[in-house]
Amino acid sequence: MKRREFLRILGIGGAGTGLGFVLGKVTQTPGAKLIPYLVPPEEIVPGVANWYASMCAECNSGCGIIVRVMEGRAKKIEGNPGHPVSKGGLCVRGQASVQRLYNPDRIKGPLKRRGQRGSGDYAEVTWDEAAAELAKNLSDLRKSGEAGKFYLLTSQLHGHLNQLAANFMSGYGSPNHIQYELFQNRNLLYANQASMGLNTIPHYNIEHTKYLLSFGADFGSTWLSPVNFSKGYGRMRQGEGARGKLVQVEPRISVTGANADEWVPARPGTEAILALGIAYAMVEKGYNRAGDASAWRAALSAYRPKEVAAITDVKEERIFEIAKEFAQTRPSLAIGGEGLSSYENGASGLVAVNVLNHLAGNLGVKGGVLPNPDDPLRAAVDMNKRITALASAAASSKVKALAIYNTNPVFTTPKAAKLEESLKNIPFIVSFSSFMDETTALADLILPANTPLEDWGDGFAEPAAGAPVYTIMQPAVSPVFDTKSLGDILLSLAKSMPGNMGPKLQAQSFAEYVRNGWKELYSKNRAMASGTADFDDFWDKTLQNGGWWSQEPSRRGLSVSTGAASANISNKPAKFDGDEKQFPLYLITYAHPMRLDGRGANLPWLQEIPDPMTSVVWGSWVEINPKTAESLGIKEGDTVSIESPSGRISAHAYLFPGIRPDTVALPLGQGQVYGRYAKDRGENPIGVLPLVENPKTGALALNSTRVKVSVASPTGRMVKMEGSTKELGRGIVKTVSPEEFSKMKKEA
Amino acid sequence: MAGIFDKVKDTLNSYRTPGYFKKLDHKWTMVVDLDMCNGCGACVAGCYAENNLPVVGKEDCGKSRAFSWLRIERYVDGEYPDVKVKFIPVMCQHCMKAPCEIGCPVYATYHNQDGLNVQVYNRCVGTFTCATYCTYDVRRFNWFSYKWPKPLDQQLNPDVTVREMGVMEKCTFCIQRITAAKDKAKDEGRGVKDGEVLPACCQSCPTNALVFGDLQDPESRVAKMVNNPRKYRLLEELNTDPSVIYLKRVMNDGKSEE
Amino acid sequence: MANQKSSVGIRGMEIKTLPKHDQSHISYREINEDILRFMTQTGPGYYIVLGALFLLTILLYALPWAYQIYTGQGVTGLNVPVFWGVYLVNFVFWVGVAHAGTLISAMLYITETPWRRAIARGAETMTLFALVIVTFFVFIHMGRPWNFYWSFPYPNTRQLWTSFQSPLMFDVFAIGTYFTSSVIFLYFGMIPDLASLRQSSTGWRKSLYRVMSLGWRGTDRQWHMHGKACMFFSSFIMPLVVSVHSIVSWDFALSVVPGYSKTVFAPYFVTGALLSGFAGVLLMLTVIRWFFPIMKKYVTAYHFDRIGIIILVLSLTWSYCTLMEVVTGLYANTSQELEHLKFKLLTPPYSYLFVLMIFSNTLVPLSLMIRKIRSCEIGMFFICIFVLIGMWLERYLIVPNSLSRKFLPWMWHDYFPSWVEVSITVGAVCFFIFMFMAFIKIFPVVSLFEVKEDAGIPMKKGH
Repeated sequence: MKRREFLRILGIGGAGTGLGFVLGKVTQTPGAKLIPYLVPPEEIVPGVANWYASMCAECNSGCGIIVRVMEGRAKKIEGNPGHPVSKGGLCVRGQASVQRLYNPDRIKGPLKRRGQRGSGDYAEVTWDEAAAELAKNLSDLRKSGEAGKFYLLTSQLHGHLNQLAANFMSGYGSPNHIQYELFQNRNLLYANQASMGLNTIPHYNIEHTKYLLSFGADFGSTWLSPVNFSKGYGRMRQGEGARGKLVQVEPRISVTGANADEWVPARPGTEAILALGIAYAMVEKGYNRAGDASAWRAALSAYRPKEVAAITDVKEERIFEIAKEFAQTRPSLAIGGEGLSSYENGASGLVAVNVLNHLAGNLGVKGGVLPNPDDPLRAAVDMNKRITALASAAASSKVKALAIYNTNPVFTTPKAAKLEESLKNIPFIVSFSSFMDETTALADLILPANTPLEDWGDGFAEPAAGAPVYTIMQPAVSPVFDTKSLGDILLSLAKSMPGNMGPKLQAQSFAEYVRNGWKELYSKNRAMASGTADFDDFWDKTLQNGGWWSQEPSRRGLSVSTGAASANISNKPAKFDGDEKQFPLYLITYAHPMRLDGRGANLPWLQEIPDPMTSVVWGSWVEINPKTAESLGIKEGDTVSIESPSGRISAHAYLFPGIRPDTVALPLGQGQVYGRYAKDRGENPIGVLPLVENPKTGALALNSTRVKVSVASPTGRMVKMEGSTKELGRGIVKTVSPEEFSKMKKEA
Repeated sequence: MAGIFDKVKDTLNSYRTPGYFKKLDHKWTMVVDLDMCNGCGACVAGCYAENNLPVVGKEDCGKSRAFSWLRIERYVDGEYPDVKVKFIPVMCQHCMKAPCEIGCPVYATYHNQDGLNVQVYNRCVGTFTCATYCTYDVRRFNWFSYKWPKPLDQQLNPDVTVREMGVMEKCTFCIQRITAAKDKAKDEGRGVKDGEVLPACCQSCPTNALVFGDLQDPESRVAKMVNNPRKYRLLEELNTDPSVIYLKRVMNDGKSEE
Repeated sequence: MANQKSSVGIRGMEIKTLPKHDQSHISYREINEDILRFMTQTGPGYYIVLGALFLLTILLYALPWAYQIYTGQGVTGLNVPVFWGVYLVNFVFWVGVAHAGTLISAMLYITETPWRRAIARGAETMTLFALVIVTFFVFIHMGRPWNFYWSFPYPNTRQLWTSFQSPLMFDVFAIGTYFTSSVIFLYFGMIPDLASLRQSSTGWRKSLYRVMSLGWRGTDRQWHMHGKACMFFSSFIMPLVVSVHSIVSWDFALSVVPGYSKTVFAPYFVTGALLSGFAGVLLMLTVIRWFFPIMKKYVTAYHFDRIGIIILVLSLTWSYCTLMEVVTGLYANTSQELEHLKFKLLTPPYSYLFVLMIFSNTLVPLSLMIRKIRSCEIGMFFICIFVLIGMWLERYLIVPNSLSRKFLPWMWHDYFPSWVEVSITVGAVCFFIFMFMAFIKIFPVVSLFEVKEDAGIPMKKGH
């Protein structure tokens, strides 16, 4: 090799090395360096998980959770094993709430509207600017003596946050704090109040019942407290003693209905009449264990099984059979769920269920209905504070400022409520939502609040467990984005308001507020104090355990009087909008097991985990009986249009034999406009619903219209995970008959 | 002569026992009570959270590429109004005579001394043979490099790897939890206690339908449950010897004999 | 040499064949010159075709594969549970195409079937390149092809060993052996020819042939050794005719999947492989004869006639196996087998594919009973095309189709190839033809010394 050549090679090699070095520098990801903790935070040990006990806020059941935190990041949420509601289990939604915390679509800091309202054009502002703007607007309003024209619209708040909001509103001088959610149990609260005098939802003791008669209660996935009820369901099936039986009355098989031993597909809107028919059959045959038979016979005279059979499409013999079994199996329990409550006369149906429980002697007994202690911070719910009240006030310009937190009424109220149009009349709207949604999009100012995993809070679980359950919510992680706790926002807002806001808003932070609140509860409640040295000790233990609860059952006696019952029941089937000829099919809408009323739609797991009953993912559908579909010329996966007198939407057809041929069902929650995972997922079923409100409770009736279904021009595609649902005799899910099972049990 | 023959037979048979171990350290077993399972899907969510399962989106779900290691199958019998719906959670059955283990040319899937059918991601070259041979269709493949949009990635469990493109994966019975429990037991100089290991699905189950434990421990819950007369195993006729035991659903579906 | 028998068959069931075409008038010199002319005198059309094929290979084969490696197997139509799709179909198909080479060069060599001589080299070349395609398809179908070498048992620092119980491991050995022996056999048989060409060529060819002919001088001793070696390799390779495709079939038959787990698979696959192999060879010969009339001198109607009979016999055997495959399933009478058959035989579009397969593989070859068709070049061309399509469909109906209907109906899912898979499948054909066309311009596609044996001029035989 010549010298020149050698040098040339050397040069190329050197240049290559240099280039490699430069490339390495350029392509290096920023922040790729490891920086050791100079002063390591006390609670962070790399590789070791911390568990924080808290409360799940995905629905209102108030499950105790434990959050696994590693290196300051929430990894997984599990049920708190010691908590009497969740008992260590947790539903799909609760587990997915970690994706609410780390959702890429969260609002990352305060925003101020720049463009037209609804245009989505927002400018980023600092918290100081945003808070000053909010304070200025509200104080101006207050100064002009129009404090009553400020409305606070939130989801159903719990515990001390609810109290703080109430304190704030009373300090500010407005009575208008409206709590609105699609599934708020207003009818249930009303029915229990009207028939049994209860202010809280009682505990339905599914665990110990041996005969569960469920009227449209999908307690395995959405109703009231699904985790607690599921725990109970498991014990009911394979716990001590005989195996409990489940009879489900509903027009469409829900997740719970799929597990029932018997399915009673009563005609939609007549379930309440069926319940009363069963009650009459009990009285007539002398099965009733409580109540005066003759008085009840008189009160229920309009519900002879023969007539009831004609109305409900359930055979007379079957009504007597159910009545006999319900009355003679001890203990038995009747429950009325969303399916029943969602009719226009839903509250009366729930009263009918209470009548059944009363007659069978199920009130206040183990395996029946157990009363819960009252919420220490909340009296009865004010049924007059409704979303429609806000809409009409806003429409007539009686609302000058509106603050919205954690609720999306524009998405969940029927078009006829004209909510969006009315809200546009409001000169100033502030939203505390951490996510952009249909309602927040109208806001002039957005102050994103923490998600529950970053926040303080507490709840007094309803329907609890028949004993007091106080659950604490504590931040498992520090805020991921530039967000603040709603409690902190309200407290600092109160401080920056000129004038007196009352003595109850003095706490420095919401954390302090909650702690003070608990201190007060501690000082009043002797049961809390037992076994603890002082409040600090109690507080530490509470944070460690996730709350405080006792086994002390409520001693309240329960009964239903004929008078209370007669005042509320009706022998008319629930009304459905639309002419029977023109709109031949009943429409049932239901809370989706994953997305509920739509709040879960932007959590990718909740889109990807298949719906239990249809296995459809990432989309919306309408369930149709195959026979009906055949007569309408609809094939599985076809895009169909669903038209009611109130509107029209399209969805993909899913053929399912577990639905009455005269009924179609739509799951709620899809059809949102915002969120990368939630948008473009079909249409919002609320769009075909009329505005039907229970006059007594303000609950929206979701099963209140008839529809017409026809094939529409194809759009998109329905994706379902199932290949075939036919077992083809392969013995995949093997079964034993109940008789054989009881024989097995005897032999063992 | 017969003695020699038996000896040879025994020796050969010993090679047929999974993992070539004389005796398993544990025999992890899951019991699924189909009478308690209500099909809610909480176990599926638990699995997604624990095992860093990617979300693939609508299009790939449509190609049946969803990642759920655990799925709930639903079978529907009959016509309105006599409709029977049955749920069954299906995860890797950790067969003791696993067809997948026969298929893999590089030992990426094999039986370990805990009686688990394990998948070594590093070793996998992606021949798909295991998944093709699997009689339960529980194996999932990393068709792409999946990305978690920030900050969703902060949720990823550091105890479980995020698999790279081109490798096969499946339910592990949450082996990271098993390992952690074994480590802890070893530190404390004792055996693993019953109930100490709970895979994410069993932990989250709202009806307690899923029970997990060591079949070799005679005191464990699963050891007691396997004597249940309702016991059966999925596709048992294929002789894969699964470690997941199902308890028959109690139901009037007119065919209770099998 | 003077085998004048003009019919084949037994016990009066003879099929009339063409009399052997006499090639004794062709001189040694003529043969040398013909072949050299064929190799060196290349028109621009040939280069254009070659260039086009190269371009197509890049566009349809290399780039989509690169895209697939970069993006992941997700670009295919594969899904759960259909993990084996068109790539595996192609794998099995090309192993099949490779089969005739072995049969012609080994089995017919041992049985001293004289007409094999003119076509043996071509068939062996096909085998070699078909195996190249096969190997590539193995890599293409892998999730992590960059780790392909992990499937070889070699001592390594990772202390890993391969699993010898895996049918895929059998494949590695079966195809590895087949590939190696095919290369050696091809090269070995070519040495005397390369030596002849060394004499008459110039330039880079001369240097190439000089090196590759390994100093062959045509001495008695060399011829003797060469003949012995050829005999040895033939005997060595002969079992491979049966074993390679049997082993490939075990990839499927050793599973428990309905549609895969069948005892008939080994003979079924071997028969099918030979069927497609012979169809491939015949197709190649037809095309060569069309474009290079010079080759008509060596590849005659007689060859067509003979291969036609072989295809007929193989087609009948294959049809029997297909019938058995279906009947075994019906006989099992389990839901698994019946649903699989229902899917394969009665569900469109697969039912159409099945009918097309039976038409191509059973009905069309039946026409080979007629001698006129056997000796008709165009007729044979189309029959071969049909058989190749039919054989590809057979593999398609077995490989992805069975997986669509496995044990748990919940997981049933159909499979459709994606554009990447289709493109790579077509690209592989281009790649194959490209390699073949390039090869025949560098190396003699007709075995000179063996044809010279036919040329009737007395010479020493190798044994």
